[in-house]
Amino acid sequence: MKNFKNILLLFTFSIAMLSCSDSDDAPVANDVTLKFLNTFGDETIVLGDATSSTATENTSSEGQVHHFAEVKYVISNIRLIQVDGTEIPYNINDLDNGATVVNLSNPSSLNYVLNTIPSGEYNQIKFGLGVRSNLNTLDQVSFPSFYALAGENDTEMHWEWGTGYRFTKIEGFYDTDDKTLSIHTGSTVEGTIDDESTYTQGVDAYREIALDLPTNATVGSSAPTITIKADFDMLLSGATNTIILGEGNATPSIHTAANMVLFVDNLGGNGTSDTTGMFSIESVEN
Amino acid sequence: MKAFKFLIGYIGFLLLVSCSTDNPVTIPFENPEVILSIPENFPEVNNAFYANAPTQYGVSLGKKLFFDKRFSTDNTISCASCHIPSNAFADNKPQAIGVEGRIGLRNVPPIQNLAFMRFYNWDGSKLELENQPLVPIITHEEMDSSILEVMGKLKEDSEIVEMFSKAFGDDEITPYRIYASLAQYEYTLISSNSVYDQVIRNDGVSFTESEAQGYETFQQKCASCHSTELFTDQSYRNIGFPINTDSNEAGRARVTGNMEDYMSFRVPSLRNVEFTAPYGSFGQFATLKDVLDYFDEGVLFSENLDDTFKSNGNRIALSDAEKENLIAFMKTLSDSKFVQD
Repeated sequence: MKNFKNILLLFTFSIAMLSCSDSDDAPVANDVTLKFLNTFGDETIVLGDATSSTATENTSSEGQVHHFAEVKYVISNIRLIQVDGTEIPYNINDLDNGATVVNLSNPSSLNYVLNTIPSGEYNQIKFGLGVRSNLNTLDQVSFPSFYALAGENDTEMHWEWGTGYRFTKIEGFYDTDDKTLSIHTGSTVEGTIDDESTYTQGVDAYREIALDLPTNATVGSSAPTITIKADFDMLLSGATNTIILGEGNATPSIHTAANMVLFVDNLGGNGTSDTTGMFSIESVEN
Repeated sequence: MKAFKFLIGYIGFLLLVSCSTDNPVTIPFENPEVILSIPENFPEVNNAFYANAPTQYGVSLGKKLFFDKRFSTDNTISCASCHIPSNAFADNKPQAIGVEGRIGLRNVPPIQNLAFMRFYNWDGSKLELENQPLVPIITHEEMDSSILEVMGKLKEDSEIVEMFSKAFGDDEITPYRIYASLAQYEYTLISSNSVYDQVIRNDGVSFTESEAQGYETFQQKCASCHSTELFTDQSYRNIGFPINTDSNEAGRARVTGNMEDYMSFRVPSLRNVEFTAPYGSFGQFATLKDVLDYFDEGVLFSENLDDTFKSNGNRIALSDAEKENLIAFMKTLSDSKFVQD
């Protein structure tokens, strides 16, 4: 009996060793870096105040010149999709470890590293612009880090009156006389907007983005970098709406839900015919 | 028969055993629900009320917290700093004043009869009272704090911790318990003992001649919006008041995203209106007379101006006598007991 036990132990041990050595040549997981490239068309955006000579100036399809002094947006609900369709969610219910604020004036925020992504071939990425309604409650107790990150004085991504987060915050200037533009988006929805039994009121500004990768990201011995381009030319000249800024929509009421959806649909897609919005994949480096 | 009795007893015993194994033993605590005297002619309470019905210690905790200045980042502002009991829990400033004298977007709404409301805030952004307190706590122009900062301060106060125990059965301080106890206290703030109420109830009180005429005018020209015993139909309307040019203001539209709601605000209750001057979403009018004069002279036209005005040449025509009598009537809605308590 004792012998049998020893043999069994040895056998189990060998199997364990074998299985380990099987995957020795490639790690079971690695990092994936999301790099956010923020542009007007092909030109990387340089921020600047009203009179800046270095700020990148853009002209909308309607001929309206504009440039930005501040651009921030929230990315959450990140999922990487393997070639066989398996979806790998990345801390999608944990804002502290699965959401970030991209802030153009803070270079380190332009790279977001996803840790311990299972080895494999990936051909699609999905993420959200903004925060899903069920997590969009400014819950400081559950997600103190993200709450702090979004609430810092130079970030200002709390939408206090709606007890949610700002999803995008764009400050800048338009027309040749540099009038102020100030475009904030966020959700005011109560309940689930597609579910009549829970939906009561408000606007859902969260948008799902799905982007196919032009070449597969191979996670394993390599830690790929996926460069995601956010083309802010789409703000005014988007797939869904062509917007001319004026007194009625550039600042007054634009911190509100009133005119907001037009901008939201341009930046994040309208959720039906457009699920990419301003985003595209610039490159995949393995 | 004896065996049958035994069987019953045995099953009873089994049930007891299963109960005690299924549920962790909870130490019962004494905290009776508060019996509110709700006038029969008032509307139904908000559904959220049933999930957070006021209890004796919940209410006393909520009241304590309502007056606690530690809710603001620099310990200078409590809920009651703006929601002053003698002003029917509003104040007399055009717009709310928060920490460091910062000026808020809107006029402070009175806190009364909230149990019967279906929406909270002038734009109805909140549907349950328990979801409201976080807004002033974190708003830069109000308390400019955070819920963790508030919890941290409260935990240091043994008297408060003891009150949480009494209200909720253990001494844990959670965001929900803070919000729920504040809401419980607010649910108890029912104003229903004005002269008007006593007249309606036949309590041996009657209107003066002027008040009676004012009531008649009110029913003809005001009651379509200021309806029910709350004196609001809880709808949102653009009534052409001078516009707040702050870029954060869009009225109800900032919640719904619907331009038909642009610069629409919840119809205010007229109860205790005597104590809540100035009037309008950002205190545009110093007196009730100013409001009535404005209605009479004509309001601002806009696409979504309320039909009541649109179909009447953008105004509510009122003679001087009608105005005087209306004001006399509105003062019968003052509940002196409510503002003293």
